[in-house]
Formats: sequence, C-alpha cells, structure tokens
Amino acid sequence: MEYPEIDRYASLDSPVHRFDPRTKIATFTFLVFSFVFIQEITIALFALFFSILLLLVSKLPIGFVFKRVQVVLIFVLPLLIIMPLTVEGTELFSVFGISATHEGLRYASLIVIRAMAAVILILTMLGSMRFDTTIKALYMLKVPSSLVQMLMFTYRYIFVIIDEFLSMSRAMSAKGFNPGMNMYSLSIIGNMVGMLIVKSYERGERVYQAMISRGYTGNPKTRTAFAMRRTDYVLSAILVGFAILVHININTVMM
Amino acid sequence: MHISDGVLSLPVIAAGWIITAALLVITLWWAKKSGGIAEQIPKLSVMTGAFFVASLIHISIGPTCVHLILNGLLGVVLGLLSYPAMFIGLTLQALLFQHGGVTVIGVNTMNVGISALISYAVFKVGYKKAISLPVLGALCGALATIFTVVLLAIVLVTTGEEFVGVAKLAALAHVPIMIIEAIITGFVVAYLAKVKPELLPIYPGDRR
Repeated sequence: MEYPEIDRYASLDSPVHRFDPRTKIATFTFLVFSFVFIQEITIALFALFFSILLLLVSKLPIGFVFKRVQVVLIFVLPLLIIMPLTVEGTELFSVFGISATHEGLRYASLIVIRAMAAVILILTMLGSMRFDTTIKALYMLKVPSSLVQMLMFTYRYIFVIIDEFLSMSRAMSAKGFNPGMNMYSLSIIGNMVGMLIVKSYERGERVYQAMISRGYTGNPKTRTAFAMRRTDYVLSAILVGFAILVHININTVMM
Repeated sequence: MHISDGVLSLPVIAAGWIITAALLVITLWWAKKSGGIAEQIPKLSVMTGAFFVASLIHISIGPTCVHLILNGLLGVVLGLLSYPAMFIGLTLQALLFQHGGVTVIGVNTMNVGISALISYAVFKVGYKKAISLPVLGALCGALATIFTVVLLAIVLVTTGEEFVGVAKLAALAHVPIMIIEAIITGFVVAYLAKVKPELLPIYPGDRR
C-alpha cells in the first residue's frame, strides 16, 4: 500500500504549472471529454500526441507518468486481444479456426488510444498543482460545497487511515500472520477491515466534535484568491480550440 | 472492475452522470433532513476514507490478485449515504490512482452505488426474516457484486454490440471476486455485530 502522491511534482515550474487552477481544471476537463468521443483513429492519434506535447511542456518526470499510465493499460490492453476475437466483421487472419476481425482490432485500438490520451491529460493537470489547490479551485468553480468538503476531508484522512492500517498489518506480521488463500486468512482480513471501520467511526465522532467546537457550520470559508492573467486566456483559448477542432468533420470543411 | 475513459459512448456517459447527480441530490437532501449536513460531512468523510483504504487491500488468488470493492458492506454500514460515499471514493480513485477515469465517474458510481443501496435493502429485509447476521452479510456481499456486474454488462452492451464478448468475460472474471467479497463481508458483519452493533442497521424490535 502506497500513499497517493499525485502532487509530488507540483513545485516544478512550467507554463502548465503557472496556468490558473480554475481555468486549468475547466479547460483540461473539456479536452478530456472531447478526446474520449473521437471516432477516427488518425484524429485520436493526433489527440494523443497533443496530450504528450502538453505533458512535455509541463516537465513532469516521464517515470512518474508512465507508472500511473500502466494502471490504465492493464485495463484496456486486454481489449486488443479480446475484441478482435469476439467482434464480428471481415477476417484479418485466423489461427486454429478462431478468426480475428479487422473491426474488432480497429475499435480496440481506438479505445486504447483515447484512454491513453485522457489519462495523460488528467495526470498533467493534477500533477502540476497541489491537490488542495485542485480542491479549492473546484469549490470556486461552484461544485456543490458539501461534495467538495467531503472530497477534501476524505483525502486528508486517507493518509491517517493508511498509517493505521499499516501499523495493524505490521503488528499482525510480527505475530507471524502470513496471508494465504484460505478461510482462516480471510476471516483475519475480515476482522482487520472491521477493526478499521470501528476505529474510523470513533475517529469520525471525535473529528466532528473537534470541528463543531471550533465553530464549524458546514459552510467553509476559503481565502485563496486566484487571478487570471493574459497568458491564462491565451492558453485556455488554444486548448478549447483544439478540443473543438478534433470534432469538426474534415470532409465538410474541405468542401 | 471500473470502466476506463474512452470506452463508453456519449449517451451512456451522459445517462450515468444524470442518474448519479439525481441520486446524490436525493441522498444528500435526506442527510440534510435527518441530522444536518454539518454533522454528516466529517463523519461520512472519515468512513469513506476507511472504505477507500480497505479497497486498496489486495488478496492474491493464484497468479492474479484482486482488490476488494466492499460496496455491499458500504451499503450495510452507511445506508442511503453509501451513494455519496461511493461517489467520493471513486472520484478519489480516479484522481489519485487512475482507477477508472474522470469522464466515467458517473457511470461507475451508478454501477457500484445502486448495488450498495440494494444490499442495504436486502440486509434490512433479511434481518426482519431472522437470518443469521454472518450469512446475511455474505449474501449482501455476493449480491452487491452480482448487481455491479449486471449493471456493468448492461452499460457495456448499451454502448455497442461489439462489447458483448467483453461483457461475458468480465462477468466470468468476477466470479472469484464475488466469492471473496461474500466471505469477507460475512466476517466483517459478524465482527461488527460483536464489537459495535450500532454500526449495523439492526434494531432488536425488528426481529420476530
């Protein structure tokens, strides 16, 4: 189990890092929603290169991004094998009577490229600012306050609870517990999850009492002021322009 | 299993967001009415964090390993508020670990959240019918996984005929997950009934 260190490289300096957080979230989200509905492989590849270009501009370490892109690849790469075999269409080749189709391969490749483009954009966006800045920007973008607050508190307590869980499992392995695939191990894991829930429930009570005694009413006050500069307008105009461009049918423009 | 970005079609993603938004409005309105949101936010956040961490536990079965979903347990413990908790949990999974994707948070929350709500209803009914708690917990864990897979298959097949094969394989891959979820949920419910029964929606008067 690892800490979710999504913003480890937030202190670097690049045009993406300097981009106003509110505008960054709005334009990158727009781009992601635009890219995942691209229908042509060539345009999808173009979008993927655009995402990689933005990533390079942001100067985030490639290793940091690649490690996280892998998580998505584990989910989508199997489609490259499954879909050619299960989708009906013109035959590409056949082995032992099982045929792979052109349509299946095309559709699966499109999915893989779109997923890659989307995850690289999201990583560039989140990796280039502190996560609490992201949450503040969401609040200023008028995302419902109760959801933003829950997002913030949950994010903070994840670190505390991971520590709690790790100390529990360290204590268990010190006493010789070696998890395997049997009923006894599962019962122990069940008890650990139960203990984690009970501890967190009691912690929640204490957190709530600590918060109301400091005057918490459910309405947060933020003091961060973000300011838009000219470069923010230019950058967001370029990104939004690109997001719209990939959906303009090239044939109709040519005519 | 969470669907990634770039898989689903526009109508499916839009429907997912609309259903999730509607259920969030309803459940949060209900939270506001019963007990006040200022009380629910800190408590629910800590519990969501606990379930988030519990879902990071991986259990190895043969060569592969599975992550727990625990949406059945979430439904039993948090009741209606399991829906916003699931929404926050999946949002953080998408943002922090790239499990799932940002555009599909609506759809993924719908798949696991509705199953959590069903599991809550099953637990309440089962308790009145005097089913023993560990068995009832295991039943809820299994049912929540089954409903998640059914919704996942519906979502995939609605996107396109091309996904019928993928949906079948995904359903097959969930059989071991369902068994593990059932066993773990059963043990957790038994533990909670012994240690902290007020966390379960059980009232001795309900039992005949």
